[in-house]
This record gives sequence, structure tokens and C-alpha cells, in this order.
Amino acid sequence: MIHIDNLSLQRGDKQLIASLSLHAKFGGVVVVLGPNGAGKSTLLLTLAGLHHDYTGKVLVQGKALADFSQQSLVEHIAWQGELPPTEFGLTVEQRLNLAAHGVTARLEHALTYLELELLKHRALGELSSGEQQRVEIAAVMVRDCPVWLMDEPAAHLDMRHQVDCLKLMKQQTKNGRIIITVLHDLQHAAAVADMVILLDGNGGAEVGLAEEMLVAEKLEPVFKIKLKGKGRNLMPQYAVELSE
Amino acid sequence: MNIKQNPWLLFTSLLAVSVVVAWVLLGLGEHWINPFSPSSDMESRILWELRSPRLLTAFAVGGMLALAGAWFQVLLGNPLAEPYVLGVAGSAAVGAVSSMALMPDSTWAVSLGAFIGAWVGIAVVLSFSHLGSARLLLAGVVLAAFWAAILMLLIALLPERGVVRAYAWMMGDLSNSVLPVWSLILAWITALGCGLVLSLSLDKLLLGEKHAASLGVDVTRLRKFLLLLASAVTAIAVTAAGTIGFVGLVVPHLMRLLFGSLHQRVLIASAFGGGVLLMLADTAARTVISPAELPVGVLTAVIGVPVFLWLLLRRGT
Repeated sequence: MIHIDNLSLQRGDKQLIASLSLHAKFGGVVVVLGPNGAGKSTLLLTLAGLHHDYTGKVLVQGKALADFSQQSLVEHIAWQGELPPTEFGLTVEQRLNLAAHGVTARLEHALTYLELELLKHRALGELSSGEQQRVEIAAVMVRDCPVWLMDEPAAHLDMRHQVDCLKLMKQQTKNGRIIITVLHDLQHAAAVADMVILLDGNGGAEVGLAEEMLVAEKLEPVFKIKLKGKGRNLMPQYAVELSE
Repeated sequence: MNIKQNPWLLFTSLLAVSVVVAWVLLGLGEHWINPFSPSSDMESRILWELRSPRLLTAFAVGGMLALAGAWFQVLLGNPLAEPYVLGVAGSAAVGAVSSMALMPDSTWAVSLGAFIGAWVGIAVVLSFSHLGSARLLLAGVVLAAFWAAILMLLIALLPERGVVRAYAWMMGDLSNSVLPVWSLILAWITALGCGLVLSLSLDKLLLGEKHAASLGVDVTRLRKFLLLLASAVTAIAVTAAGTIGFVGLVVPHLMRLLFGSLHQRVLIASAFGGGVLLMLADTAARTVISPAELPVGVLTAVIGVPVFLWLLLRRGT
């Protein structure tokens, strides 16, 4: 269980989130939506114990986040974010072993699910961005954490792997995990979200059930675009034709 | 059994290779002396009192430079980093050359000056340890330029004989080490031991600081300790032998190409690889134009560059 009470988030001089409260139980996907720079990634980093510039209360399994050591947080929270640097030539298998902490049982399953078996002896730097992204998703899978924090997991992926990735999230919440994920695609969000955190970029944060939040009236003022469609088909109007 | 999988096998194999190489090099010099049967008391004294301490010094210094290079590369997340990148060698050189100016006839004063200088440099660098990798590197490069400027000023003030000596020191000189051999070997063992204890955390640090922290590494503490460890090892190497370029940059990369990127193997292989490379270079330095000597730093580059480029090209295809 993750309980956030009156969280206020800063980065440098900038106030990102003024006040956020959320109660997430096991077995659900929470999607974080918001414009660039609104603090979505910083929110995930905060929950992962990697960003400390916040006030308010965050409880993980009933215990304050600040009371966890970095070492003890490893068992509770898995974080997926930026692609790791590739200069030093780690292979796919070595990278995943570092995440697996010597537990190899889940490694084979993750390699199979993300279709990485043939790539496992290749260096990360030899892979495409999409393939590297699949390695990062696998790196979350090999850790048996009750909470997954996923920052744009579908980035760089082709359509089939996007679907696989969304399916994975849905399926893992059936197993009781909490997944908090940043997504940019409304249709992705509609496909997986149980709850939505909508950040407006000016410190405002609204939390609600997916069906209440993923509607044009809520999203249009925040993203400053026109939306069309409804429910799972809610999407931007790509009006790119030049007017003259 | 695979040598890449088993650290003990790797360690013993490389130890055996190093011993064999050292044994052969021991015989080389102005005159060939068979290490198994020196023909006179004089030859036996050349072997055991002159050549072997110098070989062991070269081995320990080379190994420590390679270890420090590997650590700085992961600490700064930059494959171009080497032991002297943060200016420790520059401040050591300022210390050494100041001693040459003040006490021109003393050998130990040069080493003492280098050691003090190195630690002044380390103290300055440590005060920047909280900065991120990119800014720490930038601070280091600027500091190195500062020390280089002071060094140029000092050299301009030295008498002519002192200038020659200063340049010889800056290109590396294993003939005048005042540090006893056993202390250097002990430092080599300690350095490798510390490195191996940290190796799993270092592997995680290859993924970047955020990923390392999310995998349970206390990144702030690790970075501070690593900075101190790598700098201290560099200071010892510089005190023993002046500045010897190239070993610290090339050997870790060479070992990554040969044995993969995980630190357990990289560190074991670098400690031996750097040692063997410097033994080869120093033996060449004292034999090629004997009885005169070449600066060993020139030889490390002449041997190291072609080997490295060859491996790089072979891997690139």
C-alpha cells in the first residue's frame, strides 16, 4: 500500500506540486498525466527514494519513506526510468543480473516475455532504443517488488511491444502489485488506468478514478488542446494543416 | 572451467603470467644474467638488489595506476578518465619540483614533496566531491590546468640542471623510488582488496547514479569513498615513480575488451595487466639505449597505443 498525504514537491527553486494526496491499494494501475516539466518523473523519483526535496507524508507499507534505508527499499520498490549509459559495454544479461540480485528464476521468464533471448549476450550499446527499453522493463520484472514505478515504459517501443507492455502492467496488478506509471498516450492511459493523477504544471494535482479523469473537460484545460472521441478512443485532434 | 567466470582462476592465471614475465625481464639488462644461475656474487647482487626491487616497484605502480584509472572511469562515468584527470598528478608535480628547487641534492625530499603535493590536490578535489560527475570532472580539469600553470612557473625559476630533472620526473622514473618495495606491494594488495569488496556496487554504478541507488547502493557514500581511494592510490604511485601516463587510461579499457565489463574481472585483470605493462615498459626503458635510460612514460605510450588501437579496431568490426 502507498499512502501519500499532502505531498509538496520542489526541484531547485521550482515548486512542482503544491499538494498531492493519494491512497493506492495493491492491485491497481495509477497513471500520472501532465504536460512536460509538470513534475511527473520527479514524483516517481520521490516515491523511489531518489529525490528528497519534498514535504508531506509518504507511507510505503505503513512505514514512512524517509525511514527506509536505500538498501531496504530495494525489496519494496522497483523503478524504471531513463535508459542507462552504454559506454562501458555491459551486456543485456549482465545488466539484468545486476537487477536480479542473484535470483535467476525470474530472469528467463522476463527474457522470454520481452523477446530478448537472442540479444542477451549483446552489449547494451549495440541495441536500438526500443530494444534497450525492453531490457529496462525486463529489469523491473526480475525484481519481485510489490510496487513498480514506470516512467514512460512504452517510449521507443513499436506497437506490438507497446501492447505487450500495457498487457504486462494489467496482468501484474492481477498479481497484486501497485504500478504507478507516467504515460503520454491517452489511449494507453485509458487501457490500463484504474486511477489517474493529473498534474497541471502550475503546482495543481488532481486525483480520481480513471473514468472520471480521462474526459475532455478535465484534460483540455491542462494540455491546452482540443480532444475528440470518448472513453478508450479519446484522442487529440491532430489539426496540423496550415491555415493558409 | 571458464576463466571469465571464476575470479580465483583468473587471479592465479594472471599471477602465474606475471611471475613468468618478471622472471624473464629480470635477466634482461646491460648484460643478460640467467636468473637461475648467476655466475658471480656481483651478478647475483645486480639481480636481487638492483633489478628485482625495481621490477616489483614497476609492477605495483603499474597495477595501482590501472586500478585508479578503472575507478575514476566509473566514478566520473567517463571512459576518458584516468588517474591524473582531477589534478592529483599536477599538484604532486608542483610538490616534487618545489622540493627540487629547495633541496636540489636530496632524493627523498622529492618523494616527500610529491606526496604532500598529491594530498593537497586530493584535499581540494574532495571539497568538490558532492558535485555530480560532469561538474566534478570539469572542476578537476580546471584544477589540473591551475597546477600545470604553477608548475611551469616553478620550472622557469629552476636552474638548468633542475629543469632536466623536473622533466625526467614528470615523464616517470622508477630508478629512484624511496618507498620500500614491500610497502608498494602491500598497497597494491590493499587497493585490489578494497576494489573487489566494492565490485558489485561499482557494476551497479555503471548503470548511472539513479539506477544504482534504486538497486540499493548508497551512491553518495560510495562516490566519496571511491574518490578518496582512487586519489590515495594515485598519490602512492606518483610518490614512487613520478607521473607515468597512459597505463591508467588504457589498461582498464584493454581489460574490459578482453574480459568484459564486470568489475571483479576488470579490477583483477587491471591490477596485473597494469603491472605487467609497466614492467615491460620499464625494462625497455633501461635496456634499449643502455647504459642511458629512456623515460618510462614514453615507453608505456609506445607499447600501449598500438595494442589498444588494434584491439579497438578488431572489436569494432
